[in-house]
Amino acid sequence: MVQTFYSGFVIPFIVGTSVLFAVIIYKYVRWMVRLPRRDKLKVWHGLFSVATLKGIWECFTECLLHRRIWRVNPLLGYMHTAFALGWFLLIVVGWVETIAYLGLRFVPLQGHIFFDYFTQDMDHGPRWGINFEVVMDVLLLYVLSGLVLAVFKRFRSRAMGMKRTTKLTLGDRVAMTSLWFVFPMRLLAESFPSQLPLWWGYSIALGVFFVAMPFSRYMHIFTEVPLIFLRRWGITSEAGREKSFDHFQLEACSRCGICIDPCQLQRDAGMRNVQSAYFIRDRRYNRLTRYVADNCLLCGRCQVKCPVGLELDTLRLGSRHSLSGTPSNGRFNYACDVDRSRGEGRVGYFAGCMTLLSPKILRSMERIFTAAGEQVWWADRDGGVCCGRPLKLSGDIEAARDMMRINAELFRNHGITTLVTSCPICLRVFREDYNLDGIEVLHHSEYFVRLLSDGRLTLKPGGTEKMTYHDPCELGRGCGIYDAPREVLQTVGTLVEPAETRDEALCCGSSLANMAVENSSQVAIAQAVGRAFEATGAGEIVTACPLCKKAIARGTSLPVMDLAEVIEQHLA
Amino acid sequence: MSAIEWGYSVLPARTMDLDRNDLGPVREMLEEMPQFGACIACGGCTATCTAGNLTSFNFRRVHTLVRRGEYTGAWAEMNKCMLCGKCRLVCPRGINTRGVVRLIKRKLGDY
Ligand code: SF4
Ligand code: SF4
Ligand code: SF4
Ligand code: SF4
Repeated sequence: MVQTFYSGFVIPFIVGTSVLFAVIIYKYVRWMVRLPRRDKLKVWHGLFSVATLKGIWECFTECLLHRRIWRVNPLLGYMHTAFALGWFLLIVVGWVETIAYLGLRFVPLQGHIFFDYFTQDMDHGPRWGINFEVVMDVLLLYVLSGLVLAVFKRFRSRAMGMKRTTKLTLGDRVAMTSLWFVFPMRLLAESFPSQLPLWWGYSIALGVFFVAMPFSRYMHIFTEVPLIFLRRWGITSEAGREKSFDHFQLEACSRCGICIDPCQLQRDAGMRNVQSAYFIRDRRYNRLTRYVADNCLLCGRCQVKCPVGLELDTLRLGSRHSLSGTPSNGRFNYACDVDRSRGEGRVGYFAGCMTLLSPKILRSMERIFTAAGEQVWWADRDGGVCCGRPLKLSGDIEAARDMMRINAELFRNHGITTLVTSCPICLRVFREDYNLDGIEVLHHSEYFVRLLSDGRLTLKPGGTEKMTYHDPCELGRGCGIYDAPREVLQTVGTLVEPAETRDEALCCGSSLANMAVENSSQVAIAQAVGRAFEATGAGEIVTACPLCKKAIARGTSLPVMDLAEVIEQHLA
Repeated sequence: MSAIEWGYSVLPARTMDLDRNDLGPVREMLEEMPQFGACIACGGCTATCTAGNLTSFNFRRVHTLVRRGEYTGAWAEMNKCMLCGKCRLVCPRGINTRGVVRLIKRKLGDY
């Protein structure tokens, strides 16, 4: 038997493996070939750089050890590591075992996999001082312990730190069921190596799993590896179009479901089919509906949790673009020559649509500018063109660019060097999409910090009144600004934090990014947010976004104020 | 006569014949988005509209006409909307007004 390494039962395994590798190679080659030239160049540049070494390390820590999942929940982490590391070691040690017993000679794949069958008449005593049988058995037990947890998770996900796990597709079910059989069958077959039916069972389980794998969520096992390298070499998805690189992201999603629990559309508004896990699944299998693509706050709460580090927001925007992009066609030509700005100054202030709808914030800004003795050019106090981000978020990127050009030109015409805005939505698009070389863009919170540290603004210290701060999604997760508003608030009062804060902060629920959500869901989310803040015992909620202010006020009886209003109240 | 410009003029007579208008498309829209039917034509959306502030775009006028089966020019008008979202915040009926804009554009694109 050692000579031929063949027996009828190996056929399912060999067929499965061939299908698996044929499909994977076909997919990867196709996606790589279709990368735009710019990305291909990035691959060539990155290939022989430190990025590759870092990628190898990341493959080790993420694909085998699953460090990021450990952070979500240790049991969940253990389960993933047991599968990945355990199986990987079984293969590697199995390989070494083959060499130890058969010497350095060619052994076909099935010879390694069904080693115990083909060598059952050999002496399996220790070689090189290593008792391979024991080592392999321990590794197998390690994998099996992960399997027990996996089965357990299917029925009791809550115990693994997840309130909800993903619903499965047919491919997933076939793959998962066969996977559950692989390791117990292996244990049985290796315990009774002369029992041919057991080997058949093991081989069939492997074969079915391998055939189903590239069409199921288990495709992530392989796909995370190229994704890690491509990402390290600087390739990203784009909001303005779907790219072939997106496939690497879509198929690297393990549908682990970690993104489901943080989603407020799920936990407060009861939606069960729009979360990133489902969006990715639907897009991958070409059954994405407009409803799912549009029904997301793009709050980024799931993205910070995704253990694979997928660009969930960008992917969703790409889909929206494909589903809804209306050509720009000079739609906004009517706004080209609009200039209703007033005032003179190197510092410009852009209120944005949402601040224009909140006159209190505008008034506070004016008083603060006066108190600081700032000469201000008011870009849009009497009406102006929207910053373009809402249109971008809807998928109409080309049309949004027209609006961006109109505004950028307006800023340049007035020769400002600093642009202050009180709206994080505008801030983010100014920073990410506008070309504003020579103009420094500041959120009002950052501007206040500067005024305070330059001594241009003095504030009366507040009483003992406790206040709590809401991180707007676009400001916190979007622009990475967490400290500036807190710094300002701490000078005038006592700040208390809600349970979920900073990069885990809740979304107000009225994000402009959600094109489909109904009023009742927005209110339900606002009420949940309100409760979270009320639990801090604070007397007022402060935020730094005009939209968040309006949205949260719908869900709480506490006063909700913008940072500018708080400052104004404390002007010395 | 033309020497004095009063700033207003007499509009041509206009009637709407609901029996003759094709209500198929608007029925489809209402089916897809029932909340559109909750509009009371108060005009809050138009009063706050960013685009309407800069040009003659009148959101309430367009969607009210569409609900009566008058579709001509609706798509081109809706293209002026910047999706800024102000209208949604003021709408007393909590209608997803931006959804209405996109629905009208999608359904009437080739009307
Ligand atoms: S998107 Fe990320 S968190 Fe969500 S299921 Fe996929 S891998 Fe898990
Ligand atoms: S971005 Fe926010 S709303 Fe969208 S799926 Fe993720 S958590 Fe849910
Ligand atoms: S504000 Fe709302 S109810 Fe009033 S006209 Fe506009 S859409 Fe209709
Ligand atoms: S979303 Fe469109 S219709 Fe509504 S206020 Fe803004 S520009 Fe006007």
